Amino acid sequence: MGLAGTGVIWIALLGPVIALLTHLSWHAITTSLSAPGAFDPLVLSAESGAVTLGVLVLLGTPLAWALARGGLPFPRVWEAGVLASLLLPPLVIGLLLVFMIGPYTPIGHLLSGLHLSATDTFLALVIAQVYESAPYYVLGAQAAFSSVDPRLEQQAALLGDPPRRAFRRVTVPLAAPGLAMALAIAWARAMGAFGAVVIIAYHPTGLPLQIWTTLQETGLPSALPYALVLLVVALPLPIAAYIWSARARGRRRG
Amino acid sequence: MLEADVEVDRRDFTVRASLTVAPGERLALFGPSGAGKTTLLEVIAGMVAPRRARIALAGRVLTSTGKSATAVPPWQRKVGLLRQDPGLFPHLSIRDNLLYARRGRAGRVGPAGPAGPVAGADGAEGADGAAAGNLAELTELSEILGIAGLLAAMPARLSGGQAHRVALGRLLLAHCDALLLDEPYAGLDASLRRTLTDLVVSLVGQRRVPSILVAHELAETQAFADRLAVLDRGQILQAGSPSEVVLRPASRRVAELVGYTGFVPVPGSGSGSDRGSGPGSGSGSSPGSGPRSGRGSGPGSEETVAGVHPDRVIGGRHPDRGLVLAGVVTGCRPAGALWEVTVRVSGSRATVVARLPEAAPSEQEIALTALDPPCFGPDGTAVGIGETATVPR
Repeated sequence: MGLAGTGVIWIALLGPVIALLTHLSWHAITTSLSAPGAFDPLVLSAESGAVTLGVLVLLGTPLAWALARGGLPFPRVWEAGVLASLLLPPLVIGLLLVFMIGPYTPIGHLLSGLHLSATDTFLALVIAQVYESAPYYVLGAQAAFSSVDPRLEQQAALLGDPPRRAFRRVTVPLAAPGLAMALAIAWARAMGAFGAVVIIAYHPTGLPLQIWTTLQETGLPSALPYALVLLVVALPLPIAAYIWSARARGRRRG
Repeated sequence: MLEADVEVDRRDFTVRASLTVAPGERLALFGPSGAGKTTLLEVIAGMVAPRRARIALAGRVLTSTGKSATAVPPWQRKVGLLRQDPGLFPHLSIRDNLLYARRGRAGRVGPAGPAGPVAGADGAEGADGAAAGNLAELTELSEILGIAGLLAAMPARLSGGQAHRVALGRLLLAHCDALLLDEPYAGLDASLRRTLTDLVVSLVGQRRVPSILVAHELAETQAFADRLAVLDRGQILQAGSPSEVVLRPASRRVAELVGYTGFVPVPGSGSGSDRGSGPGSGSGSSPGSGPRSGRGSGPGSEETVAGVHPDRVIGGRHPDRGLVLAGVVTGCRPAGALWEVTVRVSGSRATVVARLPEAAPSEQEIALTALDPPCFGPDGTAVGIGETATVPR
């Protein structure tokens, strides 16, 4: 009974993937993807996704660490800040980003002084992706760091490791499976980011927007191949991270 | 040599203690839970900031408050701490756990190490030499600890006793200048605890490091220490050899902590002479054994009590060996291979507990002799030993 119920839920969750695979025709794939420039959105999404991940690791990791170890005053306030971008609908984030970094804002002026723009540029795409994926990384990394027993870090210190070295030798390896999962989920969110992207980074066109415009212009069948490409790009990292972290945990069990 | 003079605030009291532990010496801090024992170790290890302290280890000042404040961080103290949780790194093999401190240090020294501008070849040679030294010591120590067959295993595979052996080996390979043991074997069974304690004792003696064990079980501290300090609510009440502390408690509170359960008014103890005891008479190390004959006189016998330890009572009347107690059995239950007999002492409200080889039925009249019981004056300080104690002058 319980097993059957779980099975139904599992199939329902996998339904969209099954639908995609059953409705794709080989002909549609070849015609859509053989068009000139068909892979440009893919390349753009992969590049902006990689930059997004870099930004997340660089800025999100210290924040996640501080949240996990309670090193911040008013921790609830900080957590609320992280949750805000998770709870706001992406479309709303996009609208608000226009008011924050659009061309007629102080930040926009500052950027144009540097010959940059945060509207319809690669930078805009990265910013939108960061906003849509950051909470997933920060919260996941926070959980990963929280799972590391602080007494082990203390033990490393007593064995001669200054904090940075203890972090590198004990904390990071122990949190690594959780960090990898957080990063993988953030990658999937960044790849699929649409709501904020459609408002501040309609151009250049990444994969999600390519699906949207193809759907608008030529209809469902020709949009499906891009959906497959998006899955193929977005999913391997999470799957690899999942397998790797499961194996790392297994190794630890001996 | 480890010297610690520490004052550190706890929620409800202040821990004030002063300790000196010589190289190779084993000091046990004994006291009830929450007496401040662990806090003291954490201050020495540099994990808790004291209000006022001066800590020196092997000629280095680790902590000093005041004008020229010093606070050496934990990772430069070379103080080893072993807790109940062995704290092995779960992502590293036993070998890597054991060599953890060595690897870290090697990383720090490196080619541009403190040796100065050395040629690359020399540096590599030095590293090789260190690695060989590590390996030899690792092999030797893992043989002694009985973990030689486990070096490739992961910590999760180890039993509790094995994990503790590895944790001890890891500290010894780190070449700590002091070893702090915070009830490390509290969760293990008695025979394992004994084996591990013996192992620590022999290794501490071999390596000549000062060591401190914290425990709230007396037997455990006795098996380990050659000096015992009794800590209660942040104060060291008495320090001395384990047998001295148990047989000659400096105060009634110490007696209670080391297991004295009955306090019987001494018949005919002179109240007048008790008054004469100044604050100086509290030093428990004074082995003053007062005369045993009932020479004391006058009323006020309530004021001096003899401490009765359940393990230091024999059946029968033996006035030459201590204080004879007559009473009625009120309870009897098995305790190990002995019987724990509760006796209400005639002529007083006191009850004593004795562990005797034979059971005694309730309501039976019984005579017991408390062997050389320590006696305590009305203020709780020790006033001597014997059937009727008088102030040692």
